[in-house]
This record gives sequence, structure tokens and C-alpha cells, in this order.
Amino acid sequence: MDFLFVLPIFLPLLTAIFLFLNRKIFNELVTNFFTLNSALLSFAISFFAFVTFALAKFKPISLTLYQWTRTPDITIGFTLDGLSGVMLLLVTGLSFVIQLFSTSYMEKDEKHSNYFVYFNFFVFSMLLLVMSSNFLVMFFGWELVGLSSYLLISFWSQKPAAAKAGNKAFVINRIGDFGFLIGLMIILNTFNTFDFHTVMQSSTNISENTITTISLFLLLGAFGKSAQFPLFSWLPDAMEGPTPASALIHAATMVTAGVFMLVRISPMLQHSATASIVIISFGLLTALIAAFSAMNQYDIKKVLAYSTISQLGFMFIAIGAGAYVAAIFHLVTHAFFKALLFLGAGAVIHSMHHEQDMRKMGGLRKRMPITAGMMGIGTLAISGIPPLAGFWSKDEILASVFAKAGMANELVFSIMYYLFWALTLGAALLTAFYMGRHWLLIFEKDNGIDHSEVQEAPKAMIRPLILLGIFSIFIGFINTPFFHGLEKVLHETLENVEVTHLPEGIALVILAVFSIGAGFTGLIIAFLIFGFQLHKRINLGKFKLESPINLVKDLSSNVLYLNKFGNVFFVSGMKNFSRKVAVIVDGLIIDGSVNFISSAFAKTSKITSATQTGLVRNYVVYFGLFLILLISLFIFTPLVAQ
Amino acid sequence: MLEVTTDWYLTLAAILFSIGFFGMMIRKNALIMFMCIELMLNAVNLTFIAASKHFGQIDGQIAVFFVLVVAAAEVVVGLAIIVSIFRKQSSASVDVLNVSRG
Repeated sequence: MDFLFVLPIFLPLLTAIFLFLNRKIFNELVTNFFTLNSALLSFAISFFAFVTFALAKFKPISLTLYQWTRTPDITIGFTLDGLSGVMLLLVTGLSFVIQLFSTSYMEKDEKHSNYFVYFNFFVFSMLLLVMSSNFLVMFFGWELVGLSSYLLISFWSQKPAAAKAGNKAFVINRIGDFGFLIGLMIILNTFNTFDFHTVMQSSTNISENTITTISLFLLLGAFGKSAQFPLFSWLPDAMEGPTPASALIHAATMVTAGVFMLVRISPMLQHSATASIVIISFGLLTALIAAFSAMNQYDIKKVLAYSTISQLGFMFIAIGAGAYVAAIFHLVTHAFFKALLFLGAGAVIHSMHHEQDMRKMGGLRKRMPITAGMMGIGTLAISGIPPLAGFWSKDEILASVFAKAGMANELVFSIMYYLFWALTLGAALLTAFYMGRHWLLIFEKDNGIDHSEVQEAPKAMIRPLILLGIFSIFIGFINTPFFHGLEKVLHETLENVEVTHLPEGIALVILAVFSIGAGFTGLIIAFLIFGFQLHKRINLGKFKLESPINLVKDLSSNVLYLNKFGNVFFVSGMKNFSRKVAVIVDGLIIDGSVNFISSAFAKTSKITSATQTGLVRNYVVYFGLFLILLISLFIFTPLVAQ
Repeated sequence: MLEVTTDWYLTLAAILFSIGFFGMMIRKNALIMFMCIELMLNAVNLTFIAASKHFGQIDGQIAVFFVLVVAAAEVVVGLAIIVSIFRKQSSASVDVLNVSRG
């Protein structure tokens, strides 16, 4: 019974194969029946396995399916510990809820069954990634996740934008995967094994430089998969996929793979101060850029995409500050409220007949009260308003960064971490602002457009929303300053890791006040501008604010021109280079050599075929010449003559 | 007195073979070419017999019997081909039959 946890990994794969083989036979109803039951069964088994695991005092269980080679020690194996257990529950649970939503959202789509095939395949890949007990299986999952996300992003491949977005995601992920692969090679070379446990235990004997190199290469992989600066531009484009798929992949699970991986290698990561600084600074940069970019987007899903990038930045900040529990905690809470927000956006898009521009919405609250309410909960949760989920995790991250500043031995580092804390607080404020704007633009602001035909989304969409809404409120209580639930679950995994502890007593309360203040301030500013229409009610003309505001708006909607910068500096150079390669290597060298060989054969055969006259007499002459040749060889070769 | 040695036979065989060979090269009548082949075969036979006599061994003479049998069989097939050439065209020239030209 101990190894029950392996079942949920392969159940989605079997479902995917089964649905793929029967895709022509099954109608939508049968497909839905199989996929939903499989997802539910998968979640039930996971839950059962997790409870058994919890009753056994969170003692990690490992299962080796196959020993590939003994030296170096490479196995195909899975493990259930606190970290993978949490991810197992999260992935299977959300997969069920989102599939429930998808059955309604993808109704009457031409490729309905394909969608569920890809979806199940994605869940399988993700579980392979999180449940693996070594780097190799994790890498398989890592790559398969990339493949299935590509399939889902370019699901409506008849749309050129979707096909292009899929390619972009795949190519940018490839840059990260390249780093990840190199990291794995160094690991195999240094430790002679891929097993997490062995690598982590022996990492204490390895020099810091090696660990930093490994960490930085693995970090590149994490940056690619988790959409961190500078590899984040694929995520907003990935919104071309079906909305429920975005909810699962690009909000709740796949993009958190990088965070998960970094927590997985945290016993090694803690030995490298350089890597921690790199993680926290890039995380912070990502959080700020993405939050800034989300401020002036008008696509309902793009705001959420940038918000996801920004929240992932928060998780990286937590890892950089050594608060691994806080990172996983934020991962869990974020998964719920972001899935809620995405599914809510999906419901709105569905009701608006695939309209995604927020300028054409507004005032939908009266038409779609439940969706509006649930989205409101999601917005409050992500903004960090207590006692909703986002508050607990975000506050823990902020407090950890603050505590890290107190722990630093040098004044410079101390000041740097205080600065990081302040900037993170700023990012939290921006988060509250753009999420408030998001909700107000969709549900509140009157754009003078008649929405009287807009109907509330169907029940199959509303139910998952309510479920996620409830979770978004209460999931935060799994790890509060009063009840360290998640910390206990992760205790075994992070056994030898020095986790940054939160400040105690009054300091924690003051920090909480700051983070609540940031959340409320952001929401109030958003309400003043987009709800109360402050700028229309008071005369701002004398402050000459027009041009700075327009500049900010312009920078925000163009993502600080980073995409254009990247296009000019990397993409166009790469394009020119590959065009040259295409002309020179492919055109001249490869085609040239092939053409040369074929034309050489054609020419020589033309010459030799002239000797084939068809006249017997001529053939006799050749025969005679050859005979003379043989005789002269026979005579003049000394060896043969002997 | 002039003694007839093996060399004489070999020379005769070489001359006969050459005549047959040149005939093959320059004539285009199928019948004549056929006779040239026979001439060459017999030149070879002569060589075999001369060698057999020279070394005092019977092997060469056995080989000649085989050659004769093959030649007889060849005559059957060859003459049949020549007859069919005559049926196809009025002359026995083989130059017209150049379908296998490259």
C-alpha cells in the first residue's frame, strides 16, 4: 500500500492513450465521463496516499522501478515526501477542478477529445516531474511538460497567433532547458549519481564553486520554465491557448516547476551565496517588471499572465531569501487563486462570446454576479488582504526578506536586503493596484456598452469557481504564524536546510501591517481611478501630469520595450545568422555536395554510355583490347610470371 | 630434317585464333561471325591437344571433348538465332540490331 502514490502518475497517461485511441468513436459525453472519473480517481488515490503518508509521520517513501546502470547510479524511481506530496495533491486536485470547467468551456469544439488527450498527457508529465526521486526522471517530466504545454498553447493552431505563440514558448523554454541539461551533466560528473537524496547529502563535501556553477545552470532552466526575467516573454503570448489550459499550465502548475525544482535542490542551493543573490535579484526584477507591465494591459488574460510572472517572482524572492517553505506556501496559495482568476476570466470570455478586450466589458457585475463575486475573492486574495490565502503567503515572503536583512553579517548586505524588502513591498502594492483595476474594468466601470444579453456562465463553470473561491479563502490557514502545518509537512525534505525564520512578536505584526497596508493602498488607488473616476472629478490640469502618465502607460503596455529590445538585439541577429546558415551551409555545402555527386554520376555515365554502341563488332574490339591488357600484365608482372 | 615441335602447333593455333578474332571484328554478317567463333573454338582445342601431347597428360584432351559438346550445343542455339534474324530482315547483317545502344 506504501507505493500507492505511483498510481496517480500513470493514470492520466493511460487516460490520454485510451482517449487518443478512441477519439473517433467517443462523443463529448463519453470523453467527459472517462476523463473526469479518471481525474477524480487520481485525486482520491493521491489523497489517500497522502493521508497514509501523513499518518506515518511524513517519512519519505521511495520506489525504484528500474535500475538502468549501477555506475554511474542511474535509476527510474519515484519518491513521496512532503514536497512531492503537496505537489501531488495540488496537481491532481486542480486537474480535476479545471477539467470539470473545461467540459463546459470546450463544449462543441472540433478538437474536444484532443484537448483532453493533451490535458491528461500534461498532468502525467507534471506528475512525473514532481514525483521523481532523481534528476533524470525529473528531466523527462521537465521536457514532456514543455511539449504538452506547446500542444496546448497552439491548440487552435488554425490561428496564426496561437501557432506562433506555441513556437515562441517552445523556443524560449529550450534556452532554459539547455542550461538545465548542462547542470545535469555537471551533477552526473561530480556526484556520479542522479539520486536527489545522495546528491544532497554529498553536496556538503563539494567546493562552493562547483555548487554555484551547478546551481546557476539549473537556475537557467528554472528561469525558462518559470518565466523569469529575461526569459519571461513567452508566458503572455501563451495566453492564445484555451483559457482552462492557461489556468492549469500557465498559472497553477507548470510554471511553478522552476520554483519546485529550486526547493528540491535547496540543501545544495543553501551552500552557494552567489546563487541566492542571483535568485533574489532576478526574482525581484521579474516581480517589478511584470507588475509594472500588467498595469496598462487591456486583454483580460494578459493581465493575469503578467500577474503570474510577477507572483512567480515573489516565489523566487522567497527562495533567494532562504524561505523555502514560504516559496512552496505561496506556490500553493497562488495556484488556487490564480486558477480561480483564470477560470473566472474564462467564464467571462465564454459569456462575452470570446471577447477578451476589457474595454468592451465593464458593468458585468449585475449580469454575472457569482463570477464577479468569485473573481473578487481571487482579487482580494492575490492582493494580500487578510484573512484570504494570498495574505499569509505573501506576508511570510516579505517577513522572510526582512529577517534575512537582520541576519546578514555585513552592513552592505543588510542594507541591500532592506532595499529588497522595500521593493518587494512596492511590487505587492502594484499587484493590488493592477488586480483591482482588472476587476473594476471588467465588472464595475461603465463603458456605456449594453450588456443586457450577457448571461451568467453555465453551472459546470460556476461550480469549479465556487470550489476554488472557498479554497482561495481558506487555503492560507495551512501555514500561519500560529499553525505551522506546511512547515511540518516539508520538515523531512528540508531537514538539513537552514530555513530563514520569521521574526517574532511585535516585529511580525508591524511587518504584517505594512503588507496589509500595501494591499489596501493598491486597491484603493485602483478604486479611486477606475471606480470613483477621481481624475475626472478633480481638475488635474494644473499639475501637468499628462505626459508622465502617458509615458508610464506607454512603457507599461509595451513591457518597457523589452520585447522590442530582445527582437532587435537577439531575434533579428539570430534570424540573419540562421538565414546565412541556410544559404551557406544548407545551400552551398550540403545541397552543393549532393548535387555535385549526382551530376558527376550523370556526366560520367553519359561519357561511358557512348562506348555502348550496340554493335557486336565494337564489343569484340573491347574484348580484344582487354585480352591484350591481361596478356601484357601476365607477361610483364614478374610475380605472376613466376 | 625439320622437326614439328609443340611450338608449331601453338603458332598455328594463335594464327587461327587471330583470324577468327579479326573476322569477328570486321564482318557484320551473322553467319560469318558464327563461323569465326567456331574457328576460335577450334584454335583453342588445338592448343589443348598440343599441350596434352607436350606434357603427356590426358586432361587437355578431355577438355577438348567438353568444348566440342558445348560448341555443338552453341551451334543449335546460334543457328536458331541466325534463322530468326533472317526472318526479321532480308539480310543477315547484325548492325541493324543495335537496340542496346547507350
